[in-house]
Amino acid sequence: MFHWLEKNPFFFSVAVFVVISFAGLIEIVPNFAEASRPLVGMKPRTVLQLAGKNVYVKDNCMSCHSQLIRPFKSETDRYGDYSLSGEYAYDRPFLWGSKRTGPDLHRIGNYRTTDWHENHMFNPSEIVPGSIMPAYKHQFTNLADIETAYAEAVTVKNVFNTPYADDLIGTRAGWDAYKPKVLAEAKAIADNMKNKDVKDAVANGEVPEIVAIIAYLNSLK
Amino acid sequence: MNGLMIKALVFSAILMIATIYVVMSLDIDIFADSINALTMGGAIAIAVLTSAISMKYVNQMKTDTASGELADENWDGIGEYKNELPSGWAYSFLGTFIWAMWYGFFGYPVNAYSQIGEYNEEVLAYNEKFETVHKDADEATLKEMGESIFLVQCSQCHGVTGDGLSGRAQDFTARMTKEQVLYTIEHGANELSYPMGSMPPMMASGKDAEEIAIYVAGGMKGEQPASFAVCASCHGADGKGSAGMSPDIVSYDGTLMKHALGHRRKGRICKMPSFKTLITPVQEKALTVYIQSLAN
Amino acid sequence: MQSNAALEYDYSIAKLFTYTTILFGFLGMLVGTLIAAQMAFPELNYLIGEYGTFSRLRPIHTNTVVFGFTVSGIFATWYYVGQRVLKVSMAESKFLMAIGKIHFWLYFVGALVATVSLLLGYSQSHEYAQYEWPIDIVIVLIWILWGISIFGIVGIRREKSLYISLWYYIACFLGVSMLYLFNNISVPTYFLTDGLGSVMHSVSMYSGTNDALVQWWYGHNAVAFGFTVPIVAMIYYFLPKESGQAIYSYKLSLLSFWGLMFVYLWAGSHHLLWSTVPDWMQTMGSAFSIVLILPSWGSAINMLLTMKGEWNQLTENPLIKFMVLASTFYMLSTLEGPIQAIKSVNAIAHFTDWIPGHVHDGVLGWVVFMIMSALFHMVPRMFKREIYSKKLIEVQFWIQTVAVVLYFTSMWIAGITQGMMWRAVDEYGNLMYSFIDTVTVLHPYYAIRALSGVLYLTGFLIFAYNMYKSMTSSKQLTEEPQFKTPMA
Repeated sequence: MFHWLEKNPFFFSVAVFVVISFAGLIEIVPNFAEASRPLVGMKPRTVLQLAGKNVYVKDNCMSCHSQLIRPFKSETDRYGDYSLSGEYAYDRPFLWGSKRTGPDLHRIGNYRTTDWHENHMFNPSEIVPGSIMPAYKHQFTNLADIETAYAEAVTVKNVFNTPYADDLIGTRAGWDAYKPKVLAEAKAIADNMKNKDVKDAVANGEVPEIVAIIAYLNSLK
Repeated sequence: MNGLMIKALVFSAILMIATIYVVMSLDIDIFADSINALTMGGAIAIAVLTSAISMKYVNQMKTDTASGELADENWDGIGEYKNELPSGWAYSFLGTFIWAMWYGFFGYPVNAYSQIGEYNEEVLAYNEKFETVHKDADEATLKEMGESIFLVQCSQCHGVTGDGLSGRAQDFTARMTKEQVLYTIEHGANELSYPMGSMPPMMASGKDAEEIAIYVAGGMKGEQPASFAVCASCHGADGKGSAGMSPDIVSYDGTLMKHALGHRRKGRICKMPSFKTLITPVQEKALTVYIQSLAN
Repeated sequence: MQSNAALEYDYSIAKLFTYTTILFGFLGMLVGTLIAAQMAFPELNYLIGEYGTFSRLRPIHTNTVVFGFTVSGIFATWYYVGQRVLKVSMAESKFLMAIGKIHFWLYFVGALVATVSLLLGYSQSHEYAQYEWPIDIVIVLIWILWGISIFGIVGIRREKSLYISLWYYIACFLGVSMLYLFNNISVPTYFLTDGLGSVMHSVSMYSGTNDALVQWWYGHNAVAFGFTVPIVAMIYYFLPKESGQAIYSYKLSLLSFWGLMFVYLWAGSHHLLWSTVPDWMQTMGSAFSIVLILPSWGSAINMLLTMKGEWNQLTENPLIKFMVLASTFYMLSTLEGPIQAIKSVNAIAHFTDWIPGHVHDGVLGWVVFMIMSALFHMVPRMFKREIYSKKLIEVQFWIQTVAVVLYFTSMWIAGITQGMMWRAVDEYGNLMYSFIDTVTVLHPYYAIRALSGVLYLTGFLIFAYNMYKSMTSSKQLTEEPQFKTPMA
């Protein structure tokens, strides 16, 4: 049979395709509906937090930090309760990471504060002596793309029925009306920060990346 | 065994000895549990099997010659023998299938095994062991336990000796410094959420504040200044916080520790984050004992 | 034995891809060496502002070596091997020549744009699938063009039966097609919101645990169909061709191939052990990973047995040396992976440097060694000149072998140490080490790894120089050598 396949490339290819595709069908498909169900009462991230998530993705924090607490006592002692599938239901993409050059961040919001992150992102090795994490000073001057974050929220609301409030409307006018809410949230974060340039930017209606990413990190609980 | 194999195995042995040496020099027990032991076993298996088997075949380049019946086909000058499967390979292949069956049906039965169940058992077993060993832990044990928790969880900001790293965070070798008392009097405080509520700013000023600060920073020894009366109304005449209604300003008592670990306090690095989710009640008690010992 | 002299093969596309293999290999390894050094010496993070941090550069390293170096190598060898084992020249079809040219130029431009997009921070955050949706579309086009090329040549072949290498090239094409398409389905946000925000941005079709499952079904098997399958295709051609030995066993080839196809895809969930993926899926991933050892080893053993009795070739021909060592590193890597996929071992190995260590004994010792050997074999035949210097190959061989050994041993020790430190408790059951303790202790190993990177990169530069000289100024050949590659 195999020898016959080797002389008939079309059927050979079909055979290979069948053999390699059914593992995916059996392993992934049956659980699809189950694994995407959120925890009861869980809220999706705010637009500012989404913008922070996008900064997290842009600067690729997940190359060194995980967001997955495994069910071992040594991990729950260090990072808090083990992670549950439902907690990730609104995460697109998932950000579990695959390497812990730095610690896990899945519940960082429980035990770190806005000003800690501000000082730490500006100069990690001053706050944690011996740290090999680079400083992310550019996040204090780069502006977060809150408009794209808004577009993302609208998209997931419309396409995947993520439970956002009805005032998210996918038009320019909708965004203009919504923007003050994002700025108010940013101001609440900036109030707990000390960097003057950041505070000034927020007062002028701009959101530096650092404000957005702190909002996101604080939401990881 | 052939020369190549021996060389490869010696290399494997050096690698494993180095690994074990490094791990043991960090006071880690390799046989602490099955996970540590299996990991070491797995590492040894990788090194030994790869070395031995690959070198067995490489050695055949020296000792054996190619033979067998050639297939009819020939691709760009490449021929192909119709030799049988190497039997060791074939049996090992079967063996892994059997192992996979065992793993899926008995080791971690696909219809019954739960990792959360295993986690619960791990925690339960730990708690039971802990209860029996340290049910009536004495002061010295708690202090020792507190020290090790302190070194892992607190020392990053408060320093390994608890001195607060030159003012970066709270200095535990004293309850409060003079500057801290003055700052608190000037700004008030509301971070710890005691039943008494927040402390208003400017309860005292000028010379009075100065007097109070010296008195409190000195551990409330000697004659109490008259201006302390305004403090005493909440913190008590002895400064011990009126039985948990407001913060103890003489020492780090258990109530203070509970409030400090659960709420956010201002320091130079940051507001101290809450550690409520990471520190258990027993650990909190141990930490209290240890931190009290630092101030003495 | 039939002579190939009658047929003139067209190597113009293979040559183009050979250039990009060397170019992207150098760039990818340069960035790799830099980020390895950053972990030992963090000051190196600030060489080019925000674009030079470890986190921003790491995807550039991985994507450049995967989609730049390795994929170029796959295409280069395909455009060389495909014609030869099917006994048909590309020049016989104007259509296929045109497809080949478009394939290359779209690939080259696409690769440059893709690298810049990562540097600017456009990312979907799926490992090895970071490229945003517009670049995904270009990649799909490139892949389709390759498919047309494969099945086009197969369609006009003279040799009726497909050689083993072709099984693997076809599997590589099919596997990557399926995986890449499913993992990269995403919804661009710009078009559904009346043009709000960035046109590059998209959200993944899947969320949370599902996204993780699809991603690692992809991530694991992208390694399978990018770093294993096509490289096996190469060794099945270049080792017997260079040595003049017949393949040891058809049966072993057959069982290894179909075994690999069947088992590989199941093992993806071993990247998600102890996660929120259901227990039964994790168990399947672990169990199939162990089964996977033998189909992988089958190919390596088949290659080693093909060289039976040819000890003198091993000592005298550095290309054979490279390929035999590649086979043993392949064995190391494909045993190490499954053992790390056992749940108990994974509890320690996951998230540590043992995993990059495992990846790199596979890629440095197997993938790069094999692709370089293939290029050493091809270049004299494509450019009709002998290899410029045998001595340089020998030097390169030893430098790079030492580099691989330093890499995997340092990360082996670092990973096991770190994994055990995270779990270590004192006599009271409290954690023994704070996280930063487990970072600072690794400094010497990170330094050794950086050194190994410098060594490996040096070896690659020697390789590039040797290639350049062999293409342009070494002694010309009058006729194509049948087996052993001539070298000065």
